[in-house]
Amino acid sequence: MKPSLSIIFFTVSSGAGLGLLALLALGDLLDQALPSDALMQGIAVALALVAAGLASSVLHLAKPANAWRAFSRFRTSWLSREAVFAACLFPVALAYGVLAWTAEGGALRALAALGVALLAWAVLVSTAMIYASLKPIRQWYSAWTPVNYLLLGHWSGAVLLLGLARAHAAHERSFGWLAGVLGVAALIAKIGQWRAITAGARDAPTLERAIGVPKYPNEYSNKYANKYANEGAQPPGMTMARARLFDVGHSHGTFLTDEFGFVLARRNAVALRIAALSAGFGVPAAWIASGATNAAVAWLAAIVCLAGLLAERWLFFAEAQHTVRLYHGAPRT
Amino acid sequence: MTRTIAFDQRSRQQTHFTTCYMCACRCGIKVTVESNKVRFIQGNLNHPVNKGVLCAKGSAGIMKQYSAAKLKKPLKRRPGSERGTADFVEIEWDEALEILTARLSKIRSTNPTQLAFFTGRDQMQALSGLWAQQFGTPNWAAHGGFCSVNMAVAGLYTIGYSFWEFGAPDWEHAKYFLLWGVAEDHSSNPIKIGLEKLKRRGAKFVSINPIRTGYSAIADEWLPIRPGTDGLLALAIVHVLLKRGLIDWEFLIRYTNAPWLVVQTPGIAGDGLFARDAEDHPLVWDQQAQRLVNGLEPEIAPALFATVKLDDGRVAKSVLSLAAERYLDERYSPEQVAATCGVPAETITRIAYEMAHVAFNEAVELPISWTDMHGRTHDKVVGRPVAMYAMRGISAHSNGFHTCRALHLIQMLLGALEGPGNFRARAPYPRRIPMRTLPENDPAIIFAADTPLKRMPNGNPARPEDLVIDKDGRPLRIDKAYSWETPLSPHGLMHMVITNAANRDPYPIDTLLLFMANMAWNSTMNTGEVREMLVRKDDRGEYVIPFLVVVDAFHSETVNFADLVLPDTTYLERYDAISLLDRPISEPDAAADAIRHPVIALDRDVRPWQEVLVELASRLKFPAFTSADGSRKFRDYKDFIVNYEKFPGIGFLAGWRGADGESHLRGAPNPKQWEKYIENQSFFSYPWPENMRYYRFANKDYLEFAEKHALFGTPPVAVIMQMYSEPLQKFRLAGQGLYDGPQPSSPTDQERLARYFDPLPFWYEPLESARVSHDEYPLHAITQRPMMMYHSWDSQNAWLRQIISENYLYMNRGTAARLGLADFDWVWVESHHGRLRCQLKTMEGVEANTVWTWNAVGRQAGTAGLDEDASEATAGFLFNHLISELLPKGNADDRRLTNSDPVTGQAAWFDLRVKVSKCAVGETGIWPIFPMSKRLPGDTGRRPSTLRYHTEAPS
Amino acid sequence: MRLGLVIDLDTCVGCHACATACKEWNASSPVSGPLSDYEPFGAEPSGVWFNRVRHYELGEYPASKTINFPMSCMHCADADCVTVCPTGASYKRDDGIVLVDQDKCMGCNLCAWACPYGARELDTASGTMKKCTLCVDRINDELLPPEERQPACVLACPTHGRFFGDFDDPASEVSRLTAERGGFGLMPELGYAPVNQYLPPREPKTVIAASDVKALLERGLASLASPVIRR
Ligand SMILES: Nc1nc2c(c(=O)[nH]1)N[C@H]1C(S)=C(S)[C@@H](COP(=O)(O)OP(=O)(O)OC[C@H]3O[C@@H](n4cnc5c(=O)[nH]c(N)nc54)[C@H](O)[C@@H]3O)O[C@H]1N2
Ligand SMILES: Nc1nc2c(c(=O)[nH]1)N[C@H]1C(S)=C(S)[C@@H](COP(=O)(O)OP(=O)(O)OC[C@H]3O[C@@H](n4cnc5c(=O)[nH]c(N)nc54)[C@H](O)[C@@H]3O)O[C@H]1N2
Ligand code: SF4
Ligand code: SF4
Ligand code: SF4
Ligand code: SF4
Ligand code: SF4
Ligand SMILES: [Mo]
Repeated sequence: MKPSLSIIFFTVSSGAGLGLLALLALGDLLDQALPSDALMQGIAVALALVAAGLASSVLHLAKPANAWRAFSRFRTSWLSREAVFAACLFPVALAYGVLAWTAEGGALRALAALGVALLAWAVLVSTAMIYASLKPIRQWYSAWTPVNYLLLGHWSGAVLLLGLARAHAAHERSFGWLAGVLGVAALIAKIGQWRAITAGARDAPTLERAIGVPKYPNEYSNKYANKYANEGAQPPGMTMARARLFDVGHSHGTFLTDEFGFVLARRNAVALRIAALSAGFGVPAAWIASGATNAAVAWLAAIVCLAGLLAERWLFFAEAQHTVRLYHGAPRT
Repeated sequence: MTRTIAFDQRSRQQTHFTTCYMCACRCGIKVTVESNKVRFIQGNLNHPVNKGVLCAKGSAGIMKQYSAAKLKKPLKRRPGSERGTADFVEIEWDEALEILTARLSKIRSTNPTQLAFFTGRDQMQALSGLWAQQFGTPNWAAHGGFCSVNMAVAGLYTIGYSFWEFGAPDWEHAKYFLLWGVAEDHSSNPIKIGLEKLKRRGAKFVSINPIRTGYSAIADEWLPIRPGTDGLLALAIVHVLLKRGLIDWEFLIRYTNAPWLVVQTPGIAGDGLFARDAEDHPLVWDQQAQRLVNGLEPEIAPALFATVKLDDGRVAKSVLSLAAERYLDERYSPEQVAATCGVPAETITRIAYEMAHVAFNEAVELPISWTDMHGRTHDKVVGRPVAMYAMRGISAHSNGFHTCRALHLIQMLLGALEGPGNFRARAPYPRRIPMRTLPENDPAIIFAADTPLKRMPNGNPARPEDLVIDKDGRPLRIDKAYSWETPLSPHGLMHMVITNAANRDPYPIDTLLLFMANMAWNSTMNTGEVREMLVRKDDRGEYVIPFLVVVDAFHSETVNFADLVLPDTTYLERYDAISLLDRPISEPDAAADAIRHPVIALDRDVRPWQEVLVELASRLKFPAFTSADGSRKFRDYKDFIVNYEKFPGIGFLAGWRGADGESHLRGAPNPKQWEKYIENQSFFSYPWPENMRYYRFANKDYLEFAEKHALFGTPPVAVIMQMYSEPLQKFRLAGQGLYDGPQPSSPTDQERLARYFDPLPFWYEPLESARVSHDEYPLHAITQRPMMMYHSWDSQNAWLRQIISENYLYMNRGTAARLGLADFDWVWVESHHGRLRCQLKTMEGVEANTVWTWNAVGRQAGTAGLDEDASEATAGFLFNHLISELLPKGNADDRRLTNSDPVTGQAAWFDLRVKVSKCAVGETGIWPIFPMSKRLPGDTGRRPSTLRYHTEAPS
Repeated sequence: MRLGLVIDLDTCVGCHACATACKEWNASSPVSGPLSDYEPFGAEPSGVWFNRVRHYELGEYPASKTINFPMSCMHCADADCVTVCPTGASYKRDDGIVLVDQDKCMGCNLCAWACPYGARELDTASGTMKKCTLCVDRINDELLPPEERQPACVLACPTHGRFFGDFDDPASEVSRLTAERGGFGLMPELGYAPVNQYLPPREPKTVIAASDVKALLERGLASLASPVIRR
């Protein structure tokens, strides 16, 4: 898939914002509330991240004038759900902010906090499900996708939260632990997803399956079975003739090759994984462990974390292979 | 859920029926027009050619109409500018016509041969040929010489009709079909329609082709043959058929010259000619009467195999005896030919058996009563349902004539011609063999001022006396057609015209007029040098070709070289007659012709070329175009088509003749003929009654009907198929010095005649191939037409060029691996003549010793209305740079011979041999490339970055 | 109703007629035209098409087989391209046709991602998603003569390798062909239930059995003597 910068930025930015919001609200509910000025800052940062993300996602639209229609298919479309939940989140989060500023406690504030957390999760899950529900992209069509989106959002949110906590010297320990636990979980989820993608390659769809070779008469599907099995293109146990693209039917790119044709060089993939892991996890983990309270350092750690996650998200797109690629000649996805 | 959707507003649309021109197939189309813009072009369901379907080119006709390359106004080379720089000024039509009339008038009144008028895939050769004849120049021909004249000559001299546009397989009844070397063909949609019919009926389809794409993709069996060896494969099939007696005795005896006796007096005049009686009838040995009899008589019992002593003591052998002696030789056994052809011996044998099995054990009988040439009525027709079709894979080799004859030999042996399930003739064929039209060859007439030729410039020689040479044996035509070098070249040698004119060999010309041929690019061999010849100057600084007129509708590479450009209309803007006097669109079951009429109003200052031809003919006062009082006879083209009569009652259009419009095929001119055609969807079809459908070469009713309607030019005598060709033998005798008539003086010509004018088909290695080292140039290089591109025309088509606007060199994957080459490598491709650089792609479906590419994809930057960096110019290439119009040296004398079939002059495009090597690191990009062409006057060069074609303004 | 196409891989010669006829009809269609072309005369021409023809090779030379493979929208019964669409622009009609309402689409591409078959192409000039309409404005246009109420690609196909009809009607040509010829939908494992069906290439035809060969050989040319046949 083409790594579209607006979407990559959107998912990372709003993911962190949503994670932060959810954790802020959760902290509040679990009696770990930040002081109200810190809470206000937190909400502001989170909403800014979410808003920036959403704005960026609108940039991705070819006809933004019709964006308002995106609310209309809540029943079937995760993108519609995302839009609806996001639209609800803002007033609730603002209300929560007002309550947090004005009311020391109380059921209303708790209710608002609960609403914020639930809506943030709903948005996060909806975003993730947009990808996780796409059957033509095996790398995405998996429970690992929502798990990753949730955990990575919360991990980056937790780093931001810890920064706030340290700056305001409030609940540093519990938030430190929280960040640590989320970081480990997110890391496991990330590596788990990568491994699942590799493992899934074994029964990934092939060009032969895409054009239905197994349905052809034996004369074509078996007799012409080729001797190139050792090139690894043939799924084990298959005696089907190997298919190759001869001509794609157009000399230059099309919407389809633009959108789905992106191929990531192996070398770049490895480099990006290293970058994602070290920036997305290593640097913030070191910062957490250091216990540094300097605000600038905290910001830096959070930014490096987000940059790492941008790399991770870039990879998420770049490594995803749409079935259309088979028709364009990829032996498998 | 159903929401309302909008439909076309039909009330605002008009529909017109006319004829497609995106290629020479000439399908019927229905054009829907809205606000003078084309809404939709679809196939005409009632049309005999395409029966409603349409190909990719036809469907993309809209983008031809809205091409950025359309010429807009007559152009004149800017005075003082260099030719070839596309430095033009726009002029008015009056001036253009005056320039041309003055020039032509002067030539005509001094030396008419100084005009050479050559046309490309001209769909009105009957008119342009008539025009040349009236002008009085022998230097006229259409594209046939560089296209497929091998098929025409082999067929017309052998069976009376031929592959290409003169016959078609019987798709309805064939049970076994062999397709030899065809990628697209002129009969583009009919072949596709036909293949589908075959497959649905469960007939077997075998494709013999080094490449498996397109039609070959859906073949039941693919024989990846080595290019240029089909003749050998065909003769091996003949070997098997003869050896096993798998032949149709009756057919051979009744309809072919197989039993005719041939005089055997090697080294003595008369050798190899038919033994004839006093009345010149061919003799055969009657098995029952045990004596020599007139072979044309009915009820005799000719011996197919015979060696007899003639009354004068000479020995004579029957044709089939000679054939058996030759083809039963082990040389032609499947085992012997397998390695050369690349087809396993078992496969060859099996294919021969399969054909024989279908022919003899699965014959088709139709309860149709018909009368044979002797007046005997038969109550059924029997077909041996094996059909074949062949095109340029056979014809574009210098042995193509004989290969094609070998295919006809198989058909004769199986009795598989003109019956149900066979390869059948399309009216106005079959014709007598050889046809009676002879080319004008009287120097007194040819050089006479202001005098039309007595005969047409082109025709079908039957003997050396018919050659178009002077008394010293020198060619009288600029392309040297009908000279000793290529005697049977009825379509001329378009590919030699520029070279010969530039060399002033055999003589200088003044004006070269090119219509519809991109001779500075894809239709020429040796493109780079030919472009140089077009601008070559002599010692006095004069262009060796003094004046070049180009008639085109679009900005082609050739336009850039013109001194005068005459812009044509597009096919949707003009009247055209697709005449039975020309290349037929008939189908085997119906004679047919068609017209075009304007469906879109003209928006620029261009004129239909046929209109201009009629105008020039009138201004130059050609007799056929001028009344007795000296006034012009025809108002315009439309008037000409209606009123011109070739013979009384025979004109360009066959339908709705007679004052009342009721006489078909033959009748007085009908002033409302165009209207009738338009009313009848722009075509006329005359279905043959059942009794005239089959065996037309020997069908009395048909032959008599054809004679009556002179249109079909066949006398009421049977067309006897010529397994053994006596005209060839006459030329051979001339080469051997045994002919009582003109004989060549050059040993090279003598040798070639003696060798290549074999009266029985044989196989020889293609000429170029035989003259270059196979070690150095191990690979064959051929081209194929892409189905969605018509030569170079379609690069201007914004839709079609999205499908293909660059090409690769395709190579067998195993071969590439052996050569250390991989996909997308940049490679040098070198022939004996030149080299080019391109990018490689590997594939499975290509014969291991063959490389190929799509034809005519590459373009010169700036032509065809394209941007400077169009991928046709930056990534497209032509093989033509590698192909020489001359053979490598190799004959005894120093003369460079044409790279053509030595019998017919057919350009040998596919004889090319090459080597392929990997480019050095950093050596990338197509080579050669040509500098950006200047834009034509009035063309800003600005092109839309987004095109949103719509008949209604897009929202 | 389940309207859709049958495509016969046994007769498809890969000529691109269906693709260009489609482009031509739909360019001026009020349903989703124009179909933009980018840099139409430039370096890398490209544009919006609803139907594309690709070419594959099976097996290894010389036993290789070339397959021409046209693809357009399959009008899937379970079309995720519709369910993922947030705006409601994509919809499936009662007759099974999947369409995009050009007035509603916001050009988010999600439906194209959801389509396994590459049947949807974004038109960057209009900013909307476009796709095969099954020529809804032909097949339902009662002002067209009945024999022309067919998709443009079906009308054009020179090898009659394309058929249009209702798969819910077991008597329809499309149902019959699918049943008789072992028609299949692409990648059924993805669960879209594509309606369009492909007919596989036929088993190559064998002409003669061994016994026939024997009979043929027995005809053998005993000598170079011809039977007596009267001309
Ligand atoms: N390497 C290689 N070369 C080949 C071949 C091959 O197979 N391989 N094939 C050969 C064969 S068989 C042929 S026939 C030739 C074809 O070669 P050409 O006859 O040169 O073919 P085109 O490229 O179609 O060029 C014809 C010209 O006609 C113009 N034209 C189109 N429509 C009209 C019209 O309505 N009016 C006028 N006046 N002009 C029009 C076009 O703009 C173009 O410039 O190529 C030959 N060259
Ligand atoms: N779409 C489209 N249609 C066209 C044209 C076009 O440009 N585009 N051009 C028109 C013209 S002018 C012509 S002349 C016709 C030509 O129509 P075709 O005769 O179909 O022309 P080519 O494309 O040259 O195809 C030649 C075929 O012969 C094969 N071949 C080459 N060498 C050999 C050989 O030695 N033996 C065998 N058995 N096969 C061989 C090639 O692989 C190729 O498939 O098409 C006409 N129709
Ligand atoms: S084959 Fe195609 S381009 Fe040629 S006349 Fe027919 S529809 Fe037109
Ligand atoms: S083919 Fe693609 S666009 Fe068409 S219905 Fe199926 S999923 Fe949707
Ligand atoms: S691109 Fe248009 S049709 Fe597709 S999902 Fe988005 S809004 Fe719906
Ligand atoms: S049905 Fe119509 S829109 Fe769909 S591919 Fe065919 S021509 Fe195109
Ligand atoms: S028009 Fe027919 S033969 Fe041509 S590519 Fe399309 S389906 Fe195949
Ligand atoms: Mo040609």
